[in-house]
Amino acid sequence: MRFENLREVLLASGIAPRHVRRYLAELSEHLDDLTRQQRDAGYDAEDAASRARARLGSDTELASAMLQHKQFRSIATRAPWAVFLLLPPVAGIAAAFALIAPLVLAAHIGRMTSPHGILAPLWFQQTASAVTLLGNLVLVPLLAMRFVMLADRQRMARAWPLLAVALLVLLDLQFQADFPPPGHRGGSLGIGAALWLHHPGNLLNTWPLALVQLALTLLPVLYLCWTRKRIV
Amino acid sequence: MASDFSALSSGLSELMVLRLLQRQEMYGYEIVQAIAERTAQVLSPGEGVVYPLLHALEKSGALKSRRKTVGGRSRIYYSLTARGAKRLAAMADHWSALNGAVGMVLHAV
Repeated sequence: MRFENLREVLLASGIAPRHVRRYLAELSEHLDDLTRQQRDAGYDAEDAASRARARLGSDTELASAMLQHKQFRSIATRAPWAVFLLLPPVAGIAAAFALIAPLVLAAHIGRMTSPHGILAPLWFQQTASAVTLLGNLVLVPLLAMRFVMLADRQRMARAWPLLAVALLVLLDLQFQADFPPPGHRGGSLGIGAALWLHHPGNLLNTWPLALVQLALTLLPVLYLCWTRKRIV
Repeated sequence: MASDFSALSSGLSELMVLRLLQRQEMYGYEIVQAIAERTAQVLSPGEGVVYPLLHALEKSGALKSRRKTVGGRSRIYYSLTARGAKRLAAMADHWSALNGAVGMVLHAV
């Protein structure tokens, strides 16, 4: 691939991937124009390519020109502590609320709630079960994957994504939906975070789910190890 | 030897890019060729280094860009904004004053 070394230097130096992509795309178009110019001047394909590449500038020169502009650095590299330390719990809680909010809204609008619990029709119960499953098994692993990929794209030290994943594990987001058979009042729908802090005994009852959640959340870490090996 | 004087020419690229784009929209390759041609190759750094400058000027609002296909080739064309025109006027004034001042020193008997 063209400019592969330059790409690695720019990403590892903290330039945001979108700026790197655009820079390399324009360099590539420029190189095509230069090569065509050299061919028109009478050079054979090999000479034209090497003369064009020399006129474009060395990798060091091209990287240095980009690195002078600090505004092209990504937030992840400018403030990794904010992205990998503060953001994971905030993103986890926000995503959990975003996932469950439509259900809560639907329950209120549909007048399903009362002081005695929810009187939920079958469709609501099925939707709530699906959301719970999604929240318990997909949401946190997806978030973990997002942080791992973010760090991987910028070639950042492994410690940052590992920190984010560890925080997500400790956040221990739990979705719960319990309903009696349709037509009966009662049941509940809720989310909890870091329940192990206040009710460590609950882990004895919920360990199979906790173990599956943990395994899924740690999967992106394997991806990280694999990609780093591949790059090295 | 030329690199020893690079500090002297810092800022000139920006001035020239803004001036060129004041007349018409251009893509990177055109800009670089125009600079080399109009400065009789005196200012001809690695051609690719113009892009970070173009991107920075766009980010600051001095330029805007659009992708346009001409002759079957898609390229990013840059043009000057109103903010860029003001910046060009200020830079040109500053450069003229500076040029005059340096000239007085160099040509003093």
